[in-house]
Amino acid sequence: MQLPEPPKIAAVEVVAAQPTETDRAAIAHRGVKEPPEAVHVVKVRLKAKPPVMSMAWALYVDDELVPQYWEYTDGIYFTVLDPQFFTKHKGKQLRFSQNGTDFFDTGVTLTAPATSAAAAKLPLQSDVLKRRRPGRRTK
Amino acid sequence: MSVAEETAELGNPGLAGNEQFDTLIYGSPPLAYPAALSQYVIYNTPDPAYVTGRINVSAFANLGSATPWPFTNTNVPLNGHVSIPRGRGPFPLAVFAHGNHSPFENSTPGYLYLCQLLASHGIIAATIDVNFLNGFNFGENAGRAIVHLEHLKQFRTWNNTAAHPLHGKVDLNRILIVGHSRGGEAVGHASFFNRLAAIGPVVLDGSAGLGPYRFGLTAAAAIAPTDRQFTPATGPTVVPDSYYIIHGSQDADVFTFEGYHTYERAHAVDLTNPTVSDGKFKAMLWVHKANHNQFNSIWASESAPGAAMPRPSQEQIARVHLGALAQVVLLDRREYFAVLRDHAVATAWDPVGTEIVSQYQNPERIFVQHNQEGLAAPVVSLPVQGSVAVDGLVAVRQLTALVGGAATTTITLRLAWNATGTRLLLLVDPATLPAERYKVMALRVGQSNEATNTANRDQDFTLEVSSGSRTSAFPASSLHRLLFPDPPPFGPAKIVMQTLRLPVARLVECRVDPSDLRSIALVFDRRQTGVIYIGDLQFTN
Repeated sequence: MQLPEPPKIAAVEVVAAQPTETDRAAIAHRGVKEPPEAVHVVKVRLKAKPPVMSMAWALYVDDELVPQYWEYTDGIYFTVLDPQFFTKHKGKQLRFSQNGTDFFDTGVTLTAPATSAAAAKLPLQSDVLKRRRPGRRTK
Repeated sequence: MSVAEETAELGNPGLAGNEQFDTLIYGSPPLAYPAALSQYVIYNTPDPAYVTGRINVSAFANLGSATPWPFTNTNVPLNGHVSIPRGRGPFPLAVFAHGNHSPFENSTPGYLYLCQLLASHGIIAATIDVNFLNGFNFGENAGRAIVHLEHLKQFRTWNNTAAHPLHGKVDLNRILIVGHSRGGEAVGHASFFNRLAAIGPVVLDGSAGLGPYRFGLTAAAAIAPTDRQFTPATGPTVVPDSYYIIHGSQDADVFTFEGYHTYERAHAVDLTNPTVSDGKFKAMLWVHKANHNQFNSIWASESAPGAAMPRPSQEQIARVHLGALAQVVLLDRREYFAVLRDHAVATAWDPVGTEIVSQYQNPERIFVQHNQEGLAAPVVSLPVQGSVAVDGLVAVRQLTALVGGAATTTITLRLAWNATGTRLLLLVDPATLPAERYKVMALRVGQSNEATNTANRDQDFTLEVSSGSRTSAFPASSLHRLLFPDPPPFGPAKIVMQTLRLPVARLVECRVDPSDLRSIALVFDRRQTGVIYIGDLQFTN
């Protein structure tokens, strides 16, 4: 048998969306005085989804672990509550690791979010995940 | 008492008991499962007395949107199967949770074979639906833990509801939680969360739906668990309850024995109070040729043909050893601790030829050498006073991940020799070592697959224990086999240490006075060369 190979990323897309109630609670818990009107859904489109296993490919942006990600039709996504995340990591490499020690560079970097639309016009996160538009690929 | 004598006195805990029981479904109907999720339709027709509510896990997990669940993470169902002994009870409770797998296959019934075994011994045993967290997700194991605890809460509710068939039948002070794979990681988090009033912004007092918990968990058991896919804000979870882990050497999913790290963090020595114990035990079973999926009767084997033991054998091992654990922690049959302390007690019940490595850490212990002081030269550990002499071998403390995968936090002592007669000698001040208060001298030892160990040959050495002018010698092999590592499906071989337990009574029989112990030596006179890793030399019970 062969060691599992890390997922290969086709594209990354960052989409502003409305925060959920849970997002708002999490932001409030951080003591943020002026909560952002938007959160950002980072859609990581995969060339192929690996088989579902218990061992996981943890996703990192540079050296920072993305603590949670979720499956959607074309790959995985995670939600960024703090816009500073992009300031800190824009252009940094997305990487996978199974043990926090050995890392696999994906060759794909994090893009900055497009300028947010007015809060009232932001899509729901569930709608963002339904869109099947290929994202920009950046190196 | 010899192993044979102990076995003769015990019944096989893997065989069905005499209690009659019923198995039924509980669930949260109505849910419009689409055709792709037709395996879950069974939860739409629960036993009428066992209709449950929904819970909101949105603070902990999303549902993968690639699976068409007919609910969201704010109203996930409490579905499960439960085997209930007939009779008045109260009966202890065991609740099993599966791990990550294709959400299009219902993983929940995969532990019914264990539930029905436990029910036949007078235990209410359930297996729960956490499939909605399955998929290509990451970091959701806190959510799995919350779901597990909420199922326990459901049983508490039924137990406290006057008109319910389970009214007064659940012994809420005897609860065992068992999880497999990511569900195995989650039982560690559940054990930790069980004592909390809040997790981040989520208050666990019931006011927002979740909690309160504070159940009487007598143990958490993990089958081939992951580790640290979720990390609490306070750092990696340290399981506060008694902890049991079982893992297979041919696991081709969790192939780095992640749960070893959970095991090491649990009930570890406190360097500031090395004689203080939290009163909990931990035990480990490393099963050669067992794989990941065959612990769940639904999941197809992930192994190449012939690489793993047959499924019936693996299920038999699960029955025997989890059955023994349940006897101990749920039925107060403490005599089954013998199986946890030494897997050889179960040899007659395990499939013929099964090779197993086991560890056991009793809460009552005083360490002579635990090695956690740092990476400097080995010393005798406080409060025992003494010194260490190394004669002809290389003794190096290492922060080595013996089982691969993530970095370890546990230091082990690596001993390498290239000639017979070499030794590691611990000289101790008998006034600081009250060995006579304990029943056993124990240490854990494992051989690596390095070239100086002969492939597929047990390693061996001699333990010499001295008091005054009296010295007795015991081959390690007389206490237990030190197996050569089983080649894994991929990645490096795991070095899993075996606990060796030398009864103090045997020392006394040999006229070694435990109240006047002067030295303990590991003498390498039984193999010309070798490399072993050792740790946790102690007197214990």
